[in-house]
Amino acid sequence: MENLKIEIQNKRKAFENALAKVKDKHSLQDIRNEYLSRQRGIITGIFEQLKHVKPDEKPEIGKLINDFKKHVQERVQALQEKFAAPKKALEKVDLTLPGEKKYWGAPHPILLFQQKIENIFLRMGFSIVDGPEIETDYYNFGALNFPPHHPARDDWDTLYITDDVLLRTHTSPVQIRVMEKRKPPIRIINPGKVYRKEAPDPTHLPMFYQVEGLVVDLGITFAHLKGTLEYFLKTLFHEKIKIRFRPSFFPFTEPSAEVDIECTVCGGKSEDCRVCGGGGWIEILGSGMVDPQVLKNVNIDPEKYSGFAFGLGVDRTAMFAYQIPDMRYFYENDLRFIRQFSLK
Amino acid sequence: MKISLDWIQNYIDVDLPVSRLVEVLDNIGLLIEDWEEKNGDIILDVETYANRPDTLGHMGIARELAAALGLALKEQRLPLTETNENISDLIDVQIWDEDLCPRYCGMIVKNIKIGPSPEWLIKKIEAMELNPINNVVDVTNYVLFATAQPIHAFDLDKIAGRKIIIRRAKQGEKLLSLEAKDVDLTSEMLVIADEEKPVALAGVIGGENTAVSDSSQNVFIESAHFDPVSVRKTSKATGIQTDAAYRFERGADVSFPPKAARMAASLFSQFGGKVCKGIVDVYPKPRKIKTVMLRDHRVTSLLGVEIDNGFIEKTLADLGFQMENKQPGIWQVKIPHFRIDIEREADLVEEIARFYGYEKIPIQLPPLRSLEPILDPKKERIQTLRQLLFHYGFDEVVNFSFMDPEKEKKFTSDLDPIPIRNPISTKAAFLRTTLLGGLLENVAWNTNRGAEGVHIFEIGNIFHMDNETYNEHLRLSMVMTGSVGERHWKEKSKEGSFFHLKGTCEALMAQLRYGSFSFQEENHPHYQEGCSLVLHFKGEEIGCLGAVDQKILDAYLLKQEVWAAEINLSLLFEKQAQAFQFSAVVKYPSVNRDVSFVADNNVAFEKIREALEKLHLPYLEKFTLYDRFAGSSIPQDKVSLSFRFIFRRPDRTLQADEVDVFQEKIIDTLKARFHFQLREGGEN
Ligand SMILES: [Zn+2]
Repeated sequence: MENLKIEIQNKRKAFENALAKVKDKHSLQDIRNEYLSRQRGIITGIFEQLKHVKPDEKPEIGKLINDFKKHVQERVQALQEKFAAPKKALEKVDLTLPGEKKYWGAPHPILLFQQKIENIFLRMGFSIVDGPEIETDYYNFGALNFPPHHPARDDWDTLYITDDVLLRTHTSPVQIRVMEKRKPPIRIINPGKVYRKEAPDPTHLPMFYQVEGLVVDLGITFAHLKGTLEYFLKTLFHEKIKIRFRPSFFPFTEPSAEVDIECTVCGGKSEDCRVCGGGGWIEILGSGMVDPQVLKNVNIDPEKYSGFAFGLGVDRTAMFAYQIPDMRYFYENDLRFIRQFSLK
Repeated sequence: MKISLDWIQNYIDVDLPVSRLVEVLDNIGLLIEDWEEKNGDIILDVETYANRPDTLGHMGIARELAAALGLALKEQRLPLTETNENISDLIDVQIWDEDLCPRYCGMIVKNIKIGPSPEWLIKKIEAMELNPINNVVDVTNYVLFATAQPIHAFDLDKIAGRKIIIRRAKQGEKLLSLEAKDVDLTSEMLVIADEEKPVALAGVIGGENTAVSDSSQNVFIESAHFDPVSVRKTSKATGIQTDAAYRFERGADVSFPPKAARMAASLFSQFGGKVCKGIVDVYPKPRKIKTVMLRDHRVTSLLGVEIDNGFIEKTLADLGFQMENKQPGIWQVKIPHFRIDIEREADLVEEIARFYGYEKIPIQLPPLRSLEPILDPKKERIQTLRQLLFHYGFDEVVNFSFMDPEKEKKFTSDLDPIPIRNPISTKAAFLRTTLLGGLLENVAWNTNRGAEGVHIFEIGNIFHMDNETYNEHLRLSMVMTGSVGERHWKEKSKEGSFFHLKGTCEALMAQLRYGSFSFQEENHPHYQEGCSLVLHFKGEEIGCLGAVDQKILDAYLLKQEVWAAEINLSLLFEKQAQAFQFSAVVKYPSVNRDVSFVADNNVAFEKIREALEKLHLPYLEKFTLYDRFAGSSIPQDKVSLSFRFIFRRPDRTLQADEVDVFQEKIIDTLKARFHFQLREGGEN
């Protein structure tokens, strides 16, 4: 018991010495922690020893420890107040001054729009798959049922690297690559850059973005193609938009369909509408039931499975959605244009 | 192609308002892109498809309309005024290369009065936006636009030896074409020749020497069938594009040449011509009619709607198909020669759907069978990167993948660029080997338009070749110059600087959980000497950053300092990212010590960091350089460095005197290694 009394005295001296050296609130905090920490503090340690004191001596020693603790608390408190910066009353400021200007970067409008498209298909259980931009003639044309030397190739005016190597003119090659590796059911979309030998003008560019899609499974019908694309277009534009499916031709689909939406700019009422040319309809998607030859080319039995495919130009669709008159805006990268989309 | 409604009336009696007609044609897949009234006629501009050469003439369009509207096609009468001469006495036709010319027909008309066409014919020719030439030439064009079968008229008297030979050209032969150009022929091209020389490029263009002129009297009408691929190759090789070649390369109707010849002969009769008896028809291997099986349940299973068998039979019959009902719901369908596009059951299903009406097919969502999703971790990481970069104030750009070879040269690198064989311009003749070119272009564009600062990034592929393999790699590149954001009373605008960019790189690496990267001072050809860092990860170069080299800036006419960074994402994404691991929060308080030194200004921070790490102080949790300055109160060539050292023990509270020992050790080390001195006011 005497030992404990002496220890309390020593600790008290040590505390005073330490306190004399304190110059700032950091070192004060260190001392506070050292003595008063609830778990490992010195005072807690002394209290621990109280357990071993005889019961009749406990009140006296207990009081000594409590006095010491109180002393430490008061001294630390006093110094804390000394070091603490005086808290000023809130200065009267002009609260009508403008708030801090937050700055954040803008996404490129094409990629922003592409993501919108992707999100709709993700909800329908599609996977997003990417592929190479440099392709072979086989994946870009042959496997997709374009005969060699067929004029159908003229509609896909191609940039060539060699006779057999080219820049993909659509993202359909990715669909071939997926079908080669996977058995149905298949549900994918393929966004990406595609290339055409086109001189730049307001509606044509040598590079643009496409999103193509493919569904192959048992019992897939043209009615399902219509249902999927209607859902997509109504979600992308609005619930009430008028949609038209009309026969068309693509080597890789049969039957094929072009999908038009009503021109919301003129409502089909203006003879010389800048957007629809007065026809009242805008071509948005190419689509169709996957051609049986394409399925055969990837060893899927067309008697058992069927599917549909579709594709749209992201640039063209974004131009229509945002009323952008010239496709070249997208690749000039004028920040006065791009930064508008930080608010989209 | 242009379609005259007046002309259509030759084949069907149709009396509908134009708007209704446009709708009907649109619905069966003959899109009317535009239409106009012209000289009391209505001219439709019809979009046609590469697989439907039968719609490249008025008869074909009329046939489709007739089927859609339930109209009958009118009988065509082709009366002739004949002479007593037999054609076989006047001309000898031989096909030497029947692989490229399966059928060749000819008729001869004598004593034609060459002159201007009659009014009705001129009107039709002008409706096709052609200039009327003379009655013979106009008739050949008329037949082409009526039937889609190209024909050609030779001056019979200019055909040497009265012989027509269809053969491959001999290497070195030439033909003076109707365009008055000498065409060099190759042995892959099919020609029409007389006894001496080529007189026409088969299916593409006629020759000047045998052309019908004002003084011609007797005409040999050619109406033939040529191999589509051969015509296409010849047309491409010679660069001669004609209405004839356009039709032959898509595939003409092999059954039609005799009718087209007779049609022309009948019209020549109207101009006083006398038609010789008989027709030349060399057709060594007559083509068989194709047969395709059609099952009604396949119609239903492809379209998703049951279509009445009666409707199926009537529609296909109206379109010229012959149906043979083998079993209930199964037909053998004979395909007429003019429908070269129909080869499989699915093709017939499309015919049925076109006339049934796409709009009547129900709208259903497909049953979504569950399937294993295809995951793309790359895409997720790109999304993370983009969100962070927006947050750090970078705008996103997309540039073309092409590069000007002249500019590419400035970016010395070990990547071999890929040339495009048929580029859109010489300035876009390479695929880019770096994203930097496009980004600097963007900096110039925006600076020239008044931007005070440009902070942009692009994520995209670069391309290069190794011998015969063509590679593409995903890259991220960031470029910054000047400051972005408005000037504001309370905030500074974001100034572009090397350390802003370096910090961004560090943050991106950390966020992608590639923590163990390092930077090394190394020169790089894209950056100014002594002003670039190379980013290493697990012993590999992942990227670099620095101040863009002056000669590159000059190429883009940039005057200001531009900072840039390039990261090879393809390579980086191959690396394993660290898995996230939770670490317990230490409940004992830390002891913080702030120490300021005066140091020589040439001591690299990296060396200080290494020295401190080598001390292996057990409870030094971390240290930061929180201030660095030189100037008035600091001697020349010296710099003030202020560090905060944070100490913590995981198992108990550290005591002040324990920390004192560590602190001494740090100070001693820095003094000894780098001659640091404690700054006055020292330990604060
Ligand atoms: Zn419109």
